[in-house]
Amino acid sequence: MSKLVCKGVSKKYKDKLAVKNVDLTLESGKIYGLIGRNGAGKSTLLSLMSAQAPLTAGSVEIDGEPVWENQKSLNRICFSRELNVSGNNGIAGMKIKDYLKMAALYYPAWDAELAARLVDAFEIDIKKQIMKANKGMLSAVTITIALASKAEFTFLDEPVAGLDVIAREYFYKELLSEFSESGRCFVISTHIIEEAANVFEDVIILRNGEIIANENTQELIDRCKYVSGLEEAVNKATSGVETHHAEMIGRAKTVAAILRGGEHIEENEDVTVKPMSLQNIFVALCGEEVQQ
Amino acid sequence: MKELLDEGKSIYIQIQEMIETDILRGVLREDERIPSTNELAKLYIINPATAAKGVNLLVDSGILFKKRGIGMFVAPGAAEKIRTQRKKAFMEEKISELLNEAKSLGISKEELIDMIRNGGTKQ
Repeated sequence: MSKLVCKGVSKKYKDKLAVKNVDLTLESGKIYGLIGRNGAGKSTLLSLMSAQAPLTAGSVEIDGEPVWENQKSLNRICFSRELNVSGNNGIAGMKIKDYLKMAALYYPAWDAELAARLVDAFEIDIKKQIMKANKGMLSAVTITIALASKAEFTFLDEPVAGLDVIAREYFYKELLSEFSESGRCFVISTHIIEEAANVFEDVIILRNGEIIANENTQELIDRCKYVSGLEEAVNKATSGVETHHAEMIGRAKTVAAILRGGEHIEENEDVTVKPMSLQNIFVALCGEEVQQ
Repeated sequence: MKELLDEGKSIYIQIQEMIETDILRGVLREDERIPSTNELAKLYIINPATAAKGVNLLVDSGILFKKRGIGMFVAPGAAEKIRTQRKKAFMEEKISELLNEAKSLGISKEELIDMIRNGGTKQ
């Protein structure tokens, strides 16, 4: 089993720390979800892990080999970025066909057959120039490159942003089949949390450049509960428990409770305990800064 | 087999329950192979590890058994076992939920028993 290990990774842009002292281990054979608000540092972290941007501090290694300026490690990584055609970055005028050819040359384990199948399924018009393609088609191109790269560590930044719901479902199925066959490591950042939650084995939540949660998705969901009822009863039921995002209406109180090992909140006639979805948990943990 | 997954309930529990329901309905029969975790993962669009967790719960409780290198199979007597377990769960969960609701409405146990006797419609 291969491992990509980040130790004390930080990135400073001018005066702003975009990524703060991140320790993270990624293992092959797992799909990770990377979630965070806009500007939380998701794309920065992915580009640091794939050596597309220099670190301010810390180290990134695959199986003990540094990633930075090390072709051996770079051959094992694919970071398929969102295609940005607004800037004059040289690829905007390129035809999709040529962009895919470039990817085929760049990634040593490129699977041409898989790429052709995805181009077909997503109905990508490969004769189009990148700047003339719509958002959905650009997403499809980045997905095609990510999956066909066959890289052991593959990072996808907002892969489904431009896709309609049918194309998204197709993407998740293709991802799961590629994953089952190959046991590669995938890291997927997304804002569409709910539909992706079940695909992630582990979820990494980033807030202001720091990792605030990194654990098995189902276990996290299992230990987060909404507790509501009469204020005093809720306070009693949750005393000693980590709570977030308290909301009051009159005498009623609702909190998000995050239970540690062994903690349990019993539902009774005064207190209702309800499950939380990953999206609810995300809002509870990352939404506090916008609460009045 | 394909039913929608609910929100707010652990996915592996739902996988476990769906396989159980399929066994009760005769969709899956004794000594038959059930779909692989990769097949379940693709069908429900879930992580294979989560699907495996649901399947393993059924192996632990003796409802499925593993044939090395072939897959998971429905154990003999599985349907009966599921019925017994669901009965127990019905007592522990639904009945206590019922009692909680009754308590907050001030319904006495005797009244509740009467209600149940009358099939839910109060005289």
